[in-house]
Amino acid sequence: MNPFRYERASDAANAVALMGQAPNGVFLAGGTNLVDHLKLGVRQPDLLVDITHLPYDRIELLPDGGVRIGAMVRNSDLAADRTIRLRYPMLAQALLAGASGQLRNLATTGGNLLQRTRCVYFQDVSKPCNKRVPGSGCSARDGYHRTLAILGASEACIATHPSDMAVAMIALDAIVRVLGPNGERTIPLVSFYRLPGDEPQRDTVLEHGELIMAVDLPPLAFATRSHYRKVRDRASYAFALVSVAVAIEVADGIVRDTRIALGGVAHTPWRATKAEAALRGAPATEEMFSRAVDAELADARPLPGNAFKVPLARNVLVRTLLDLTGEEDQS
Amino acid sequence: MLREVEADWPSAVSADLSAEHVTLSDDEIRERMSGNLCRCAAYANIVPAIAEVAR
Repeated sequence: MNPFRYERASDAANAVALMGQAPNGVFLAGGTNLVDHLKLGVRQPDLLVDITHLPYDRIELLPDGGVRIGAMVRNSDLAADRTIRLRYPMLAQALLAGASGQLRNLATTGGNLLQRTRCVYFQDVSKPCNKRVPGSGCSARDGYHRTLAILGASEACIATHPSDMAVAMIALDAIVRVLGPNGERTIPLVSFYRLPGDEPQRDTVLEHGELIMAVDLPPLAFATRSHYRKVRDRASYAFALVSVAVAIEVADGIVRDTRIALGGVAHTPWRATKAEAALRGAPATEEMFSRAVDAELADARPLPGNAFKVPLARNVLVRTLLDLTGEEDQS
Repeated sequence: MLREVEADWPSAVSADLSAEHVTLSDDEIRERMSGNLCRCAAYANIVPAIAEVAR
């Protein structure tokens, strides 16, 4: 492990200012991913700016009916929050599907969004990885890529984003509130993450020194009927092979509106806009669900080791749509 | 784990997130052990032991 300086930010402006003077610095929140990287040598920052005590630890109702989640709200507290559980059940389910109790007690909302891929080559400093060392090559494309991307990947990188929480949030049109050297700005989560292209070292559109303050969830009445479903190699404490977040509103057998996102399939949590567009106004039938999901997955470019994810994603998504709408028919 | 149940924290195996109270079934105990205790499958008596303390 390399030596580094440690500073405890006095407030958010101070945190941003400290980072502005340290091109190789990094913010420390829950540390559940960063500390591993420090030990493994994946990252070698010269400054850690501790932001854990900043006053962004509240979940507030907004006047428009939405919810503001402070960046320091712990995953456990967010999952247990009654407003989240009742209004956005798929978000609570996504959080509870992630990591373990101990990790959720430490991990923060902002840090969860910014966690790095679990691609084994990214975490192994003895192997080439374009995300860790730009231009060094991708070991995964011809190596172990069973867990990696089927959508939106590039020659340079086929990593997947590991978050469960972010999959539900991207389906909910979450908005990230950021403080940077030039003041505050807001970034829709759907454009917060970037595809790898030829710059896989950049996971998000954040600039150096920008600090996440909060995540806003807009109101979405039909999110009360939503579900997060995660498929993984074991029933607990494992990353997703494929996951889906679905909210859907059906009336008189017709899909009025829906929000769909996939996890474990791309460099970003994957908002399934093509499937959503195909479903709006369509009959809520298995045939239509299958057709919509196929439209989304037509762009999939799997590799030999992860081709199983295409039918897996298809089946999990169709099944989740059926489960959510089947209950509707009975009521 | 028992404090989380007292506080009505749900888990990944809780069927109904809107429920006011958590019922500490064997599945709930196993899920809540995950990441805390290793080899829970091989040491079958841990689950009954937790259930006994919870009673």
